[in-house]
Parts: sequence; C-alpha cells; structure tokens
Amino acid sequence: MDPVLLVASIMVSATPILLAAIGELVTEKSGVLNLGVEGMMITGAVMGFAIAVSTGSPLLGFLGAAVASAVLSLSFGLLTQYLLSNQVATGLGLTLVGLGLSALIGSNYEGQRAPNLPKLDIPVLSDIPVLGRMLFSHDFVVYLSLALVVAVWAFLKYTRAGLILRAVGEDHESAHALGYKVVRVRMAAIAFGGACAGLGGAYVSLVRVPQWTEGMTAGAGWIALAIVVFSSWRPLGVLVGAYLFGGVTVIQLNLQAAGTTVPVELLSMSPYLITILVLVVISARGAHGAPGSLGRPFHASS
Amino acid sequence: MTKHLNRRRFLQTSAATGLAAGIAPSIAHAQDPLGIALVVPSPVGEVGWSHALAAGLEPIKAEYGDGVNITILENIPEGPDADRIMNKVVSDGAKFLLAGSFGYQNGAMQIARRNPDVTVLHASGFMVAPNFSPFAAKYFQGTYLMGMAAAALSKTGKLGSVSAFAIPELITSINAFTLGAQAVNPEIEVSVVWVNSWFDPAQEQDAARALLAQDCDVIFSNAQDTPSVVSVCEEAGAYVFNLNSSMKENAPNYYLGCVETDWSPFFMESVKAHMDGSFEGRNAFLGVEDNVVKVTDWNPDIPAETKAQIDEVEAAIADGSFHPFTGRIVKQDETVGVEDGETLPDEAIVSMDWHVAGVTTPLPN
Repeated sequence: MDPVLLVASIMVSATPILLAAIGELVTEKSGVLNLGVEGMMITGAVMGFAIAVSTGSPLLGFLGAAVASAVLSLSFGLLTQYLLSNQVATGLGLTLVGLGLSALIGSNYEGQRAPNLPKLDIPVLSDIPVLGRMLFSHDFVVYLSLALVVAVWAFLKYTRAGLILRAVGEDHESAHALGYKVVRVRMAAIAFGGACAGLGGAYVSLVRVPQWTEGMTAGAGWIALAIVVFSSWRPLGVLVGAYLFGGVTVIQLNLQAAGTTVPVELLSMSPYLITILVLVVISARGAHGAPGSLGRPFHASS
Repeated sequence: MTKHLNRRRFLQTSAATGLAAGIAPSIAHAQDPLGIALVVPSPVGEVGWSHALAAGLEPIKAEYGDGVNITILENIPEGPDADRIMNKVVSDGAKFLLAGSFGYQNGAMQIARRNPDVTVLHASGFMVAPNFSPFAAKYFQGTYLMGMAAAALSKTGKLGSVSAFAIPELITSINAFTLGAQAVNPEIEVSVVWVNSWFDPAQEQDAARALLAQDCDVIFSNAQDTPSVVSVCEEAGAYVFNLNSSMKENAPNYYLGCVETDWSPFFMESVKAHMDGSFEGRNAFLGVEDNVVKVTDWNPDIPAETKAQIDEVEAAIADGSFHPFTGRIVKQDETVGVEDGETLPDEAIVSMDWHVAGVTTPLPN
C-alpha cells in the first residue's frame, strides 16, 4: 500500500462526512436535533452538480449547494421552531423529501460529467517530499473542511455569539429569561448545519465521484450524525471521528485488495463496528456531553 | 404504450384507478391489450441492471404496439412494498409480470399461485411453477472472453475486480474471468474487493483505487449500476469492463468492453408463449447460445491475434463445443474443483461458493 495515496484517499473520503458532521454539531449545540442530514446532503449533491454543469464553475456549484441545503434546512426550522413539530419525525421527513427531490431534479443530469475542481498545490509545502503530495496537494474544500473545524471550535469556545449558542442549547429557558432570542439563534444554527451538509453532498458529486447518481450519498448523512455523538459534541472530536471512519473505510478496501487473510466480512463491518464501540464506551462513561436542551421544543410562553 | 412509474407516482395513480374501476367495471374483450408490468429495485436510468431489463421490453412494444400495455415500476425496494405493488398491478389487469430482483421472489411466487392466468418471470431466483420462470444470465461466458483480452493487455500480470456481494452469480463471473485470463497467461493473478453494497458509488471508486494501488491494470466492474469504477479507471489509464449495458462514453480510451445482456429474445419468446397459451415455467439460465449474453464495444487495443482467439472461443461457447468451466480446474485452496475433462453442470454453477486458483483474495465465508 502506497502511504501517500492512502493518506490522500483518507482525506478525500473523510471530507464530506466531516463537513456534514461539523454543521450538525453546531445545530445540535443550539439544542436542535436535525435527522435530515442525509436529505440535505443529497440535495447539496444534486444542486451543486446541476449548477456546476450548467455554469461550468465548480465554485458556483459549491455555493449553490450550500444555499439550497440551507434553504431546505430552514423549512425544517420553520416546522420545528415556529410550528413546534416533532424534531425527530420532521428530520426523517426532511431526509425523505431530499431523496425524492434530488431524484426528480437529477434525472436530467445522469451520465454527465462535472467540471474539474483543480487541486490546490500549496506553494513550497506541496514540494516537500512525501508529505507534500500526501497533505498539501488537495482541492480547496479539503482545507475548507479543516478550517471550519478550527473556526467552529474557536467560535464556540472564545466568542460571545458561541457562548450564547451554547447557552441556548444547554438550557433554553434560562437563555430566554436572559433575553436571548432562542428561536433566532436556533434558526441560524440550523441554516449553518444545512449549508455544511450541502457542501458535503456537493463534494461527493463534484469531487469524490464526480458524477450525479440518484441516492449517491449512500448513508453518509447518517454516519455524520453518529460522528457528532461519537465526538461528544466537540469539534476536534468530529475531526477525529470523520477521519477515523474515512480511514478505516479506505484501509479495509486496501487490505482486501492486498489479499489479506483477515475475513472480508470483518473488514467491511470495521468502520461501523469501531464507531459503535466508541459510542458504547462514551455512553458507559456517562460524560457524553450532549446539550441539555437537545431535541426539546421551546415554547416562548413557558 | 409504456408508463414509467416510481413508488410515489404509483401511489398517486392507484387511488384514481381504484375509483374508476368501481364506477365502470371493465368488460374483457378479446382485443384488449396484454398488460405487462416490470418491477425493478433501482432507477431505470441510462445504464445498468434495471436499464437492461427495461430495454428488453422495447422490441415487444415495437412488435405488438397497442396490443400490449407496458408499465415500468422503478425504484421499488424489496420487501412488503414490492409485494403490495406487484399485487396491485396484477389486480389492475396485468397478466404478465416481470419481477426484476431476487428479493421479489416470494411475493411474486404467491401471485403466480393465486393467479394461474398470470405469467411471472423472476430475475435470479430458483423457484419454478407452471406459470413462473426464474431467469438468469450466464455472465461467466462473457467474462471468460474478457479475461482473455485483459491478460493480453495487462503489463503487470495483475487484474482486479470491484464486486458487490459474494453471491454465486458474481463469484462465477470472477472465476471465469480468471480462467479466461489464465488461458492467455497462466501466471495471471486476480484481486477482488467486495464492497458489500449494490449501490455506493463513492466506496466503489475507493475500491477501484485500492486495486490500482496494488498494480492491477485491468479492472472488472462486477455488478455496479453506475459508471463509478469505469470513470476512475479511465482517469488512471487502466482498462475496465462491466456487465449489463455499455458505459463506453464514460471511458472512451480505456473501455475494454461490455458483457451485455439483451433480455429481449427471452422476453419476446415468453410473451408469445403466454399469448398462445403454451407458456411453461422453467429455470431459464441464458447465455451466448440464447442471444442473451453478448460482448460488445471491444477495445481496438486488443492484439489482433488475441481477438481472433477470443472470436474462436466465443463461437465455440455459442455452439456448445466449449464451456468455461471444463476441467481440470483447481480451487483457491488447491483442491480440485472440476476433474479433467468434466464440465460443471448448471446446478453447480448457480450455487458456486469457491474461487479458482489465481484469485488472491479469500472468499467471504
């Protein structure tokens, strides 16, 4: 196994999950559980692809994907925050809507190729032997996803707005009593989560695959949801989780190709098995770090 | 007339159809068109399994015109949903049902038993009844020929296969591919990556990249319904082939060819038999000799000498004088799978659960 190719593959494999998971982390930190990540990802995938193919610009594709998925997520926000519908049921509905809508929009784009997103060879760094090709010769979205993790971590830890968002997620009653606009904060977090999921979906259709096929996210949104829990709602934990999942997925395929004697079934289930084991360990420890108001509806009158 | 329905559109029209049926009971006329329904688990799209099944109905539509009424129900998941939908199309008057996925078997068989006047064709199954025929393709005939071409073009002596699930249909294809390659170069090795999914384009591409990283320079895309593997190979400059329908436009330079399935001869024969009342259920295992399996889009890079050999073998398969699974064949574990001069019977092929020597990846248990 060529370690350069392996690490590069892991970074590409982890990026869509990382983008979706970091967005969902912010949403959940505000106290909202949005199970519609898969639907928002697939919507981002189709809209990003359609816009990129129509305009010839992958950058516009990514931008369009983020906007489209943010708009879709706001429909979830409207239903759960203003009309107080059940968050779990509405999130599942959002996934079904996303899958159906994307199939409808995407039917005209099957068989077409996306315009190429150029690699971002970082001057000097990309020339470093081995490490250069491994870490510093990717497209800009890989670096954007890493920058987003750092930005979200800094936002939640060091900014007043981040503190307000966390307060709303931990105890919306107290936050409301202090005069914070709980619903507005949550709507902003939901839109951010949607935009990130859209970027993740667009990365699948514009870079990872790069073509449009119905249902192509193939469960990545659900993995992103698991990784948020896996991370104990910490941005750096999301980074570790996404790269661990992406890494194990890529490594098990490479081990199969190399003809290893480890049973194929064990290799195939390993990414999911490791994720579940970590979730079990986190639950057993009890210090899972879930926001106190996660999934609970907020009534301004209460 | 052909109607394409997915589950959502089907449900919308069902209510209206039911209402109309209640208001105006239909009176059967001799000249009423034959209702043909195809139910498939994935989008029909432009390529792949469901597309090949739908394409198999085109000549029937062309021949019978208004004499047939074809409904295609795509993206129907296996399970209770499929059973309900198949029952609905039959109760709406379809007399010829094509159940296009292995998982539809039990529901389709129940329909056949309850409706002796309905003919059912079922993909990849094993149950047989007087009005129920399972059908499958002898992909292995085509993959044997592809193996010959692959070995002639390979510079590394390493071939690869991205495969969906370790089921007999896919195992036989890999084994025949290996045997065909060994007929040209006995030292050839084949690596397999099982993605354990019928549909995961991103993982299929990662699997292809993993094989390319192991120096495999010809890849067999085994049961992928999208051009995921094909496009990665084109980008990497590795030859690639696939099953069911051509993906040449996704790999204009490195497309080795396609083991196509043309179901129309079998579908046409079955529809005719249904119409004249002579249909008899049988296990239809169809290949080159039935004009169902054919290799198309051969790459011009294949050496002329090898191509001539391939044409000879193809003709021999068609006339029955050659069979890819004729011994002596040694298994991966070095025991004898087929004795010298013997030919593996169809029953053994459709239940194959072992790899031939030369496949380096262990078979899932």
